[in-house]
Amino acid sequence: MLELRKDIFADERDDNLKEIGKGTQRQDMLGHVTGTSPYFDDHKLQGMLHLKVVRSAHSHARLRRVDTSEAERSQGVRRVIRGSDVPRNLNTLLSLINFGKDDEPSLAVDKVRYKGEPIVAIVAESPREAYEAIAKVKIDYEPLPAVFDVEEALKPGAPVVNEVYPKNTFTYYETYDHQKLRFGDADRALASADHVLEQRYEMSPIEHAPTETNGSIAAPDTNGRYIVYTSTQALFFSVDTCAKILDVPSNTFHFIGGTVGGGFGGKVDTLTEPLCILGAMLTGRPVRYVFGREEEMQYGPPRGAERIYIKDGVTRDGRIVARKIRAYFDSGAYTRLSSYAAVKCAAHLPGPYTIPNVYGDVYCVFTNRTPATAMRGFGVTAMDFAIECQMDKLAHLVGMDPMEFRILNAYRDGDMKAHRREAKNTALIECVQVAAEKAKWPIREEFKRMSSRKDGGGARAAVTPTPRETHAPLAAPPQQRTTYDRPPVATREPPPPPPPPVSPPPSRPTAPSHGATRFSSVFGTRRR
Amino acid sequence: MPVTVKTFTSSGEAAAALSSDRSARYLGGGTLVMRALNEGDVSISTIVRANDHAMMRIDATGSRVTLGAGVTFARILAERDLAFLHPPARSIGGPAVRNMGTVGGNLFASNPYGDFTVAMLALDATVSVQGGLGSREVPIEEFLQSRERQTGTLVLAISFTKPASADAFRYCKIARIKPKGGAVITLAAYLPMNGSRIVGARVALGSMAPIPIRARAAERALEGRSLDASTISAAATAAVEGTSPGDNALASAWYRREIVGVHLRRLLSGQE
Repeated sequence: MLELRKDIFADERDDNLKEIGKGTQRQDMLGHVTGTSPYFDDHKLQGMLHLKVVRSAHSHARLRRVDTSEAERSQGVRRVIRGSDVPRNLNTLLSLINFGKDDEPSLAVDKVRYKGEPIVAIVAESPREAYEAIAKVKIDYEPLPAVFDVEEALKPGAPVVNEVYPKNTFTYYETYDHQKLRFGDADRALASADHVLEQRYEMSPIEHAPTETNGSIAAPDTNGRYIVYTSTQALFFSVDTCAKILDVPSNTFHFIGGTVGGGFGGKVDTLTEPLCILGAMLTGRPVRYVFGREEEMQYGPPRGAERIYIKDGVTRDGRIVARKIRAYFDSGAYTRLSSYAAVKCAAHLPGPYTIPNVYGDVYCVFTNRTPATAMRGFGVTAMDFAIECQMDKLAHLVGMDPMEFRILNAYRDGDMKAHRREAKNTALIECVQVAAEKAKWPIREEFKRMSSRKDGGGARAAVTPTPRETHAPLAAPPQQRTTYDRPPVATREPPPPPPPPVSPPPSRPTAPSHGATRFSSVFGTRRR
Repeated sequence: MPVTVKTFTSSGEAAAALSSDRSARYLGGGTLVMRALNEGDVSISTIVRANDHAMMRIDATGSRVTLGAGVTFARILAERDLAFLHPPARSIGGPAVRNMGTVGGNLFASNPYGDFTVAMLALDATVSVQGGLGSREVPIEEFLQSRERQTGTLVLAISFTKPASADAFRYCKIARIKPKGGAVITLAAYLPMNGSRIVGARVALGSMAPIPIRARAAERALEGRSLDASTISAAATAAVEGTSPGDNALASAWYRREIVGVHLRRLLSGQE
């Protein structure tokens, strides 16, 4: 069990919490329903200017010439900002923790790498005047071949998206073009498996779609400091990112966060603050920079698209003996946080199952798409989607109930995980048992009796040696099946009956249902 | 140049202001024009409004229905005589949009919006417009075909003959997000019966071309026949003829072509 060192962390946690299953008022709810929650955009400062950016019309193009002379003379324009005005016009978010190379300019200089990349910022008296000046900026593009597919981007001769990473892959440990996981001998195990199933999974980018779009307001303060009202969901991260890009000490800024009007990972990229502060520095006036809705949807960073190949070997009795995975994270034109997503993904393989032979290659790939960023479990969510789809197909392939199949393969306390760490505090078996119970999904008695705390370790804790060299492909046994939609072979007992037909959900119990009773089935199942 | 707002008490003055200024747009409920302005559309410099009560009127007592251009979808939903128009009115936006969005403005809503206009097209409505040369009546199909050039004219009202029976008019909007998402496609059909035969069938499709269009081939398949399985099949097969859908974030052109017949079949057989 998780142990909390009370001698050190005496005040850290109240041991008498009784929260689960009770309705608890969110602390910000009253402000939301009465319309009094403060947001960054509630500040209308005297003399406030408005910043808008000119965005690239091409996905990949060289900038031959950017002519802002007419825009500078446009009515109401106070300043036109170019890449050369940005003190350090190259940054990567995770450089703050020494992870990755600076690869993204605040304003594009020689080249644009995705459609919508900012090229010029216009600071004007009103949003309207800024828009009118944008229409007067003349940009001469030389379109370049673009690449939008992660596997195309890795082929020799593919267009180089970002010269900082000429192979179109993020560089790990200054050497490697992907994250690698090796445990046991997956190829040998696949060759001897009764069934092998290889499938391809793909996710699209997903926009966070916050109600409040990304934005900030920066205002000069006394002593050469700047007050910044911002929608950021990572305030100190944003402070340091701005300090780096603007090449000033971080105590130059007084960042004031407020209510984040929806973040979900889409407000960590610090997209508006650096230019907003720079606008205030260059004009000496407060400056506001807020994304429009279309900007937010089209050019705000999404959850990255992912393509995943899974090849599993499974025995006739339903044990997964090998799992081989290739995954490609579409980072878009710049790194942002996708490098970290690939690390998380590799650390998550092969899912919560004990598999003696695991092989994983996870790539963070650059393409000419909108840069991707964090979003709710990024790096893990898509992989889990793929793995769990695959689990259903494997169960079908061997003629097993999908719930029982998961219980059979779930990791247990004492098992060895693919990262050579002992599995502790595992509870997947209990989770599946409760899910089956709640869904009235019949599972057999022996599966109801299984426990995460029993029968783990031992042979399941063994580490099979991993060959250093890849051996020649081994011949698969002739009876090996590789599709999941054929009927199960007759040697197995017939598959369990299908789940009962969908009936109307049972009415809620009339007695007050406390969390304690509702969740007791977890512990009840365990003790049985 | 800042945006100028001009408000008039009569539709005639508003129409004159609209036709004399290329950068002027008429603001009804603002669900289209304000969005364009907020997103930085600098082609609009003047907003014209009219407080003319004639444009807010609903006349649904007789066999011919007239809806003022300023009638909102919320008002249509509150009108018992217009029950057959409740499904299209309800399929538009959320309550806030329905409270502001107008019948006249919907005529200018481009894909994936403009669902009410699809219903109007199936009812073969007539659009009353006032331009620089006075007012005139334009068949809706002709109006839509020249929609891009109509920004200088003011729509006063839209009128149509009330469907003969409740099930003669059918409407269906396919959306990813219900009820307020943009349309994947929109279908409306008017099927007047003479005895057991359809006489004067009209089928209108939204998002199957840059503007709402009539599905003439499907109409021909329905005309003079009874609404039985073979007729429905023939109409469903013909639905895609003459369409030119586009790709957008909601669906690809290919997908729209694939599903239009499926949904027309369901609409005609009462499954939707």
